[in-house]
Amino acid sequence: MTQYPVRRDPRKMIAVASVSIIIIIAVYAAVTWWRPRFVVYTYGSFFDYGDEGAETVLGRVFAPFERQYGVDVDIVLLDVDANGIISKLVAEKSRPLADVVIGIDNILILQDAAKSVLEPYTSPMLSLVNETFVDLLDPEHYLTPFDFGLITLIYSTSSINTTTHPQLGNLTFADLADAEFASSLVTENPSYSSPGLSFLLSQIAVYEKLLHQDWTTWWDDVRDQINVQEGWDQAWEVWSGDPSRNLLVSYGTDPAYSAYYYGSPPDTAAAPFFYDNQHWAWMQVEGVGLVKNGPNPELGKAFIDYCLNATVQSEIALNQWVYPIRTDLSLPSVYQYAVNPNEVSLLNLLLNRTEISTNLNNWLDSWTATRIP
Amino acid sequence: MNARTILNYAILSFPFLLLIVFLVFPVFFVNALYLFTGPSFFETIMSPSIRFILQFTIGQAILSTLMAVLIGLPGAFLIARLRFRGKSLVRAMMIVPFVLPPIVVVVGFLEMFGSYGVIDSILMWIQGSSTSVFNLATGIPGIILAHTFYNIPLVILMVSASLERLNPEIEESAEILGASSRQRLRYITLPHVMPSLLASAVLTFMFCFMSFPIVLAFGQGRFITIEAQIWNAFRLFDYGEASSLTLMQIVITLSLAFTYVRLTKRENETGKTASMKTTSFNRYPLRERVAIAAYLSLIVVLVLGPIATIARASVYDPVAKVYTLEGFTNLFRLGGQGAFRYLVNSLFYAGLATVFAVILGILLALDMRSHHRFVPTFASSMILLPLGISSITVAYGLVLAIAVPTGLITNPWPIIIIAQTIIGLPFSARAIELAMSKIDPALLEQADSLGASRIQRFLFVELPLLAPGILVGAVFAFAMAIGEMSATLFIALPQNYTLAVAIYEYLGVRAYVEAGASAFFLVIVCVIAFLTIERISEGSTGGAL
Repeated sequence: MTQYPVRRDPRKMIAVASVSIIIIIAVYAAVTWWRPRFVVYTYGSFFDYGDEGAETVLGRVFAPFERQYGVDVDIVLLDVDANGIISKLVAEKSRPLADVVIGIDNILILQDAAKSVLEPYTSPMLSLVNETFVDLLDPEHYLTPFDFGLITLIYSTSSINTTTHPQLGNLTFADLADAEFASSLVTENPSYSSPGLSFLLSQIAVYEKLLHQDWTTWWDDVRDQINVQEGWDQAWEVWSGDPSRNLLVSYGTDPAYSAYYYGSPPDTAAAPFFYDNQHWAWMQVEGVGLVKNGPNPELGKAFIDYCLNATVQSEIALNQWVYPIRTDLSLPSVYQYAVNPNEVSLLNLLLNRTEISTNLNNWLDSWTATRIP
Repeated sequence: MNARTILNYAILSFPFLLLIVFLVFPVFFVNALYLFTGPSFFETIMSPSIRFILQFTIGQAILSTLMAVLIGLPGAFLIARLRFRGKSLVRAMMIVPFVLPPIVVVVGFLEMFGSYGVIDSILMWIQGSSTSVFNLATGIPGIILAHTFYNIPLVILMVSASLERLNPEIEESAEILGASSRQRLRYITLPHVMPSLLASAVLTFMFCFMSFPIVLAFGQGRFITIEAQIWNAFRLFDYGEASSLTLMQIVITLSLAFTYVRLTKRENETGKTASMKTTSFNRYPLRERVAIAAYLSLIVVLVLGPIATIARASVYDPVAKVYTLEGFTNLFRLGGQGAFRYLVNSLFYAGLATVFAVILGILLALDMRSHHRFVPTFASSMILLPLGISSITVAYGLVLAIAVPTGLITNPWPIIIIAQTIIGLPFSARAIELAMSKIDPALLEQADSLGASRIQRFLFVELPLLAPGILVGAVFAFAMAIGEMSATLFIALPQNYTLAVAIYEYLGVRAYVEAGASAFFLVIVCVIAFLTIERISEGSTGGAL
């Protein structure tokens, strides 16, 4: 006897499927739902270079602020450099979600796009900050200084040192253009990375202001030898993983980092540039700024004040591995190995602010052109 | 017009409405709104760096296409003419590279052709060297090779399918009339396969032209496509440039997509026969057997090699030079820096995108088979759009036109699902349409004459008959969605990363085992997907292409 198959009602199956899909969506949406809260945008590595990792440190640092004002502080770690943060703020301009942004530096603030998304604010806590930093970062107070670092070259002393290569003690760009050095150098793309941009401006400052030469010639000379990575993290990995790439554009505090984690004396040393009988480095000052038309402007101002408190500032040295902007706080002892800001001349001072802001895009275009094979 | 007709129209126009809101409008919006900010269109596309990018984009696409056609063509002849066991399996396997995510292919290439990869290790062992001596997985060679890898199977599939439709009687008559084998090739075979050869070349060129993950991974920022430059311009908030590039790219890719459809349409009109004369390997002369063996080993190294070595990449750390299971531990680690949340995101986004792609695919397939005068044409061109508009353009439009005004930008997972749906839609729609065209219209008429309502007919007759086609379409859409990296990277915040995006991030910081293990997982997913398709479709796998 033949049997017809039992006819299941597809309507039931479709109904069951739809209900389960809706439940899954609802659960996912509920878990990731955007609740109104106090939002801070910053870059991905913020406070992430210490023993404990960003999550722990950020929780500890901002807990008192959350208690005092009864808000949840949501530090959104964007996986981009400061440039990308500005891009995001510009995209959200008509409807800002962030209240405060941390990490825009003294070069990026010179772009009109950056100023167009920020609201000037003069914090009363600025009295605790050396005025030089305010002048270096932004005298118009779109940004309040937060930390600073010196951009310089670093190398690992196990593969090269001042005995094998005496030039490292008094390094010039001409030395760096030498085939051996150029093919050891790792740097970052100035369009996407703030240390990379600082290095480009350092080189422009030296060539245009100290040597009075066309700066692009140096980049043409090293074009096929240097290794340009997109960001600092990638460049660091190449530098630490590839023994033939032992020169890196990085921070003058890296020897201190090395001493802290791998024992002193550190196996990493810095090589500031040497011209006119003095050492030079570029000072990067990072700031915290109030987002224009952000949802909680008053809270945002309080947050900026809070960022200059010792609670926050004292965590910078060992978690961010740059100098806290408050020079009155004591530094960890390993900082004796870092490049001392008082012992170098600042390349920043060779280029004035209007010069940078008018030429920045052209410089970046010319730099991109030098990379065309 | 009664209520039922209105409902009918509403259902049929629903996919159009969605595609217009989420694809046509956003792309139009970004072009209209930002094209005129900043430097003008012509100034942008004439600037030296953009000119170089354009030259590079076209140049590498031409080279990759040539390579794929040159290497693929003998394969197509072999598949069509050589008789061997397991032929249908080999042909079915051709689809695997196509569903492999590009970023996974990058991992495979690094492991096969990169420094300290398989070939490099062998050469180092031969030369007794302790440092890397060979690296093809970088710069232009890496880009061209990876593109070739991707598109060889495409050429083989499309050209061999056309070859098999060549009626053997024509060739036999020519032979009897005294035509030499060269003359037969010149005057019969080549003209016959030309349309499909051109179609596969156009498709290859288009894929290479819009290449994003491969170029990003191998180009070191110096060699990039227009697609990558759109992303760069967006990241530097240069919307004027991004929109100019988008416009230029759309003009080129849509004309390519249009050409492709014209070419395949003509191809489908020729008669279908599958009585191709085949010869077994042993009956070839020795010289040709050697050539065939050499060709097959090239294919093994170039196509199978990178896929197989992903397994090694998942456990071998080339930086520390040790074998480790850290990659897999990381993949299933909850919280912290673990990749498990990326895995959950991947499955969630791709799963939902598949559901939507199938629903819309069914509706679009209904549209394509509708008796209305303009609806089928309109539906086919709507399906074409996601093929001709690059993923980055789709993402760029969605972010600026949908995510920002609605505030979804803070948690853009719905936008990612929309993008993945759009990208998978052409594949699901074509697979379902193919299944629909095979339904015997007499069955539907019987249902009608027995008094079934439109809904009953659809639920009880069409849907069960369509089930295999729907499943094939779903598997395709799922594979496309879970491997999608470009649009997802463009839209996602770190909390929205999928495995494909995570692999790219891992490669950037040289976390090779983490990248390898994630890639291996995606390969497994794709292989399961492939086996499912193979089981259901019984050999007609290429249908959705």
